Amino acid sequence: MPDPRAEMAAAATWLADGGRSPDQRAVTSDLSIDEALLLHSIGWEPIELVFGVSVTSVPMGVWTWGRGELSGASDAHNLAVHTASERLAKECSSAGGHGVVGVRVSAEVHPHHVNVELTGTAVRPVGAKPHVGRPFVSDLSTRDFALLSNAGWMPLGLAFGASFIYAPRRDAAAAIRQSTQNVEMTNLTEALYAARESAMERMQSSGLQMSADGIVGVHVTEGPMSFARHVMRFTAWGTAVHLAQDAHHHMRPEVVLSLDDAVIQFSAGALRGD
Amino acid sequence: MSGPADVPEAAPRRLESGSFSSGLTVPDFAACLQMGLRPVGLVQGFCAMQWGWYGAGSPYMRGMSPYAPPNPGGTYAQSWYCPHGFVSGEHRMWGQNYEQVWVEQAWLQGFNSAFGRLIEEAKEVGAHGVIGVTDTTHSLLEANVAEFHVLGTAVVVEGAPPPPKNEPWSTYLAGQRLAKLIEAGLMPISVVATIASVRVWAYCVTEYLMEGAGLMWQTQGASSVQDVQQVSEGLFAARAIARDHVRRQLGNDSLHGVSVATSEREIGGGDHVFECTLRGTRVRRFKDFDPIGAPRPTVRLT
Repeated sequence: MPDPRAEMAAAATWLADGGRSPDQRAVTSDLSIDEALLLHSIGWEPIELVFGVSVTSVPMGVWTWGRGELSGASDAHNLAVHTASERLAKECSSAGGHGVVGVRVSAEVHPHHVNVELTGTAVRPVGAKPHVGRPFVSDLSTRDFALLSNAGWMPLGLAFGASFIYAPRRDAAAAIRQSTQNVEMTNLTEALYAARESAMERMQSSGLQMSADGIVGVHVTEGPMSFARHVMRFTAWGTAVHLAQDAHHHMRPEVVLSLDDAVIQFSAGALRGD
Repeated sequence: MSGPADVPEAAPRRLESGSFSSGLTVPDFAACLQMGLRPVGLVQGFCAMQWGWYGAGSPYMRGMSPYAPPNPGGTYAQSWYCPHGFVSGEHRMWGQNYEQVWVEQAWLQGFNSAFGRLIEEAKEVGAHGVIGVTDTTHSLLEANVAEFHVLGTAVVVEGAPPPPKNEPWSTYLAGQRLAKLIEAGLMPISVVATIASVRVWAYCVTEYLMEGAGLMWQTQGASSVQDVQQVSEGLFAARAIARDHVRRQLGNDSLHGVSVATSEREIGGGDHVFECTLRGTRVRRFKDFDPIGAPRPTVRLT
């Protein structure tokens, strides 16, 4: 183990002796020191903090009553994510990155626009030349990226799907008939299922378009819209991945057993015989 | 207040009293001692700032003209023109995204004054560096008055000469994270914080699209579900400008562990104010990188 005291004194002495900046372009990164070290351990390095944003319009009248899917809202959401993701990849390419890790996804649906904001750190194999082709975009953490890459897999891009479906109301006769019963609201269940199917289908087909083998770390949001409670929203997104090597490398994690004792709770009352 | 007189007369007396104070948690304090860092005092800086007004007569009006060149004075400005021809006197024939330089300058002046005062206190106690820096901003009294507060723990590196020009280095990190940074071969130089503020003054197309009236625009052959270019560009500009500002403060050094904070205010009619604040530690490599071995995966039995 290195001596932290000697390391600190050496660093401070180096600075005091006029230690100069390296002759290279500055790196900006939102990775923590642990993430940066982990990235280096698999031979990658951060290069630039990158952003991709898109605000997409939702036309008037989309949220009124109707049947089936609100295609205006679904299209706007899917377009916003797609555009933001493309812009993020472009930023990464112009910084010389091979991909973006740890992307934070913010997607907000307003009555007349959808805002999607993506923030992450562009990375590359240490000292590598700029990447030819589309860089990958991944919302996986650096830890997940390191695990994936050690197992022979690589991320490709964000796979995303959104769907907004009208939840139809029961007619008067059904409502009166069911008013004293414990009964499933099939109209709402079915709306959720319909939204789920469309959104998941879109997410999977966006993965297939990237030639992905699968999608990992899928996040799901569902429920009625706050400003249009007759509309069920379902969004799903994750990182599309593919097997980049001949075969999956099985990890053999070491099993560890902590010998730390549980903390013994001391009660002052016990001394008094309470 | 400015210059060396910034530190109140009582502060050096308190700081020289013989006992130290520190803002570190106990684990951070332990890590600090293990690295040979001796805490000498909890140092702070304050500054209350008033935001200037940009009405008539303000020096900041120059960006707001349909005839101004793009990026006047090196600051961001982008104009958008109505594609419809004359519709009415109320029609928004021209729109602009522009960098609100006066907001950025006020923020920077506030932050830098508070930070400079913290560094002065650190010099006062003979510190080599300031670790575990935190900074906060609050509104005071009125909407356009804000308080900046920067706090950190001044430390002396046992056995090391004073820092260059006696100017203490500083970092947002402390404890084991700082130890790992040093171990990775990176020396903290300074905390860096900056803001970018962009005002979006919508033109007709943006107004229609953001208010759901895109169909009016659709008659021009465009889709009503589309990227609202002016707003997307404004939102992106706030982030990209903040990154540029930070780069200007870095030289060839790197910025580590950036935290990104954004705020979006929708004024209505497609008008917005977007702000982006970046904070991080400027670091410089002092030894060649010595990569750690691939970590061993473990599963814990409990």
